[in-house]
Amino acid sequence: MATQPPVLELTGLTRSYPTRNGKRAILKGVAHSFEAGRMYAVVGASGSGKTTLLSLASGLDTPTSGSVRFRGEDIAGFGLGRFRNRHVATVFQSLNLLTYMTAVQNITSAMEITGVKGTHRKRRARELLDLLGIEAQDHDRRTLQLSGGQQQRVAIARALACEVDILCADEPTGSLDHETAADIVEVFRKLAHDQGKCVIVVTHSREVAGASDEILQLKSGRLVPQR
Amino acid sequence: MNLFKRAWWRLSGHPGKALMLIGLFFVICTLVLSGFLIQSAAARAAADAKQRVGAVATMQLDINALMESGKMESRGGGATPGLIGTAGDLHRSLVDKICASPVVTQCNYTTESGASPTESARLYQPVPPPAGQDTAGTDFFKADGVRDLNSVGAFRNGDSKIVDGSGIGPRSKADMVVVEERLAKQNKLKVGDRIKLKVGTLPGPGEKRNTSEFEFTIAGIYKSNAGDSGQYVPAIMDPANQIYLTPDGATKLLGKDLGAGGATVKQATFTLNDPADADRLKKDAEAAGADLKIFPLSVNDKQYKTLVGPITKTAGFATVTVWLVAVAGTVILALIVASSLRERRKELGILLSLGEKKPKLLGQHLVEVVACALLAIGLAAAGSQFLSQGIGDRLLASEVSSAKDSAADANSGPDHSAVTGSGGAPQGGSSGSEPEAAPIDKIDVKLGMADIGKVGATGLGIAALATLIPGIRVLRLNPRDILVKGD
Repeated sequence: MATQPPVLELTGLTRSYPTRNGKRAILKGVAHSFEAGRMYAVVGASGSGKTTLLSLASGLDTPTSGSVRFRGEDIAGFGLGRFRNRHVATVFQSLNLLTYMTAVQNITSAMEITGVKGTHRKRRARELLDLLGIEAQDHDRRTLQLSGGQQQRVAIARALACEVDILCADEPTGSLDHETAADIVEVFRKLAHDQGKCVIVVTHSREVAGASDEILQLKSGRLVPQR
Repeated sequence: MNLFKRAWWRLSGHPGKALMLIGLFFVICTLVLSGFLIQSAAARAAADAKQRVGAVATMQLDINALMESGKMESRGGGATPGLIGTAGDLHRSLVDKICASPVVTQCNYTTESGASPTESARLYQPVPPPAGQDTAGTDFFKADGVRDLNSVGAFRNGDSKIVDGSGIGPRSKADMVVVEERLAKQNKLKVGDRIKLKVGTLPGPGEKRNTSEFEFTIAGIYKSNAGDSGQYVPAIMDPANQIYLTPDGATKLLGKDLGAGGATVKQATFTLNDPADADRLKKDAEAAGADLKIFPLSVNDKQYKTLVGPITKTAGFATVTVWLVAVAGTVILALIVASSLRERRKELGILLSLGEKKPKLLGQHLVEVVACALLAIGLAAAGSQFLSQGIGDRLLASEVSSAKDSAADANSGPDHSAVTGSGGAPQGGSSGSEPEAAPIDKIDVKLGMADIGKVGATGLGIAALATLIPGIRVLRLNPRDILVKGD
């Protein structure tokens, strides 16, 4: 029986940036396989390269060397834009919402871009917002009128709405209260375990790390499994 | 469709910015449309002016061209050419053929001649010449052959008028003559009387004077406003000694045979509906057998140019305005869009992170700008007619004023621009100078679908250029840099 390739595989991944004194290597040969149906937490000190790793894994950036493979295929081969559009969604540390749109419009717009089929996008958007604790009266408010926590939840709802294989999140609970953070972690776990998604969360939170199936520590430019 | 929705959400989400863009487009489109309206109004006015005044083409001998052609004749059969000869004669039969050209609306021709007095027709000379003055070279009637006396400048402008009998017309008999009132009175002549006139040319060296006499019938008597000066005037220069004959009669008094070609014509004028018909006239003249090198056709469209000069300058100014506004508008809008793109880098980064295609991001910008442009074009179409009428009136008034000043300055000196005229004849043996034309001083601005179409195309072109040129930067965007580093 043939084994399924991992949903995401990082091989010999390096990333360096030019500085005044030459190049500074952030990642030095990161290698790891991420499976579908599991939730991963990437931890590490500030400046260790967690966000860089997430950017490479989500197709927002290209590695200096090494490869990112989706189901065995190098994402550079079929296009980072296509990879982002069809297979991965990202929730950023900063609140990356379109401010001239309402919460619902942010979600439906993303669903249209990523090609989510179905005529009931608005209903699905409202369900997700309800799930993440956004009250109905706030669904049609422009995102600038929402609090930081509400905006973060809208960003997560947008990522969930895109029905992708991989969900990457950079400090998704950083601006949320404890209770909401716990709810969101639970949503991530369900996405992984019930819907078979691969969830990769960069976090400083012990709770989030504790709820994940695997903890990976980024140290000295390398990814070291902790659990 | 997503980009259209996003464009709408963006415009409705930032009404202030949308209004600013609409306002800028409104100014650009209004100025451009005003320019187009003034241009088309000027073109209409120029076309009307062409219909109204047309142009006058003149055909006469170019003696230099004749000399260069080697067709001059030698005097007394000598080796050196010195006489104009028959090659320099322009005949009535040829001119009549050119007159039949469909582009000619009116035609006239003249034959300048002189006539020596006889017993039946003595010169009018109220003040006798000073004692000892040789008058052999000036004791002549100035005899001009005309196809139509009414076309002669002095009769057209009222300086001379028939007071008895009739003038000379295309159907007048060849031996008709019209004399001045004072001459008629002195010689006791009345309409219907017959007079004799001698050939009025001076003999060349070694030649005998031609003393042939011809009989003419008084067709009419005219009165000239040019009165006696009270001083001695050579007979040929006295207005009372100006007589008018048919071209055939004048040719006889030149001592020439009429021959098969008919009268010898000094100058022919052809009135055209449109100055642009001059080329067609030249072709027809060549087809009729005219040698346009020896008898060139020169077109006098001075009157037309006087009429349309100021409005053409106004249209020229409008054209410059259209270009300036279009270029400046494109640059300003491009800078605004470039600034907007910089401001919207984060938005672009978010959309890119979702996998939106870069051309679609540009498309969203284009839709936003075009939507504002369309609204502004509509507003400009509503307001431009009044604005361009006002601008056009002011510009034209200024141009008309300066044209009148220039004309006044030009009139104070010799006018070298007119090509028609009597060739120096004091009373105008030909068609005379053209009547003065007042420049067009009204501009009639009318808004049509073509104008709206033109401004629409210009406005949308500006929108496209102003969006796509700075939009090239979008194609270089890296979502990670925007979203993670905020760069």
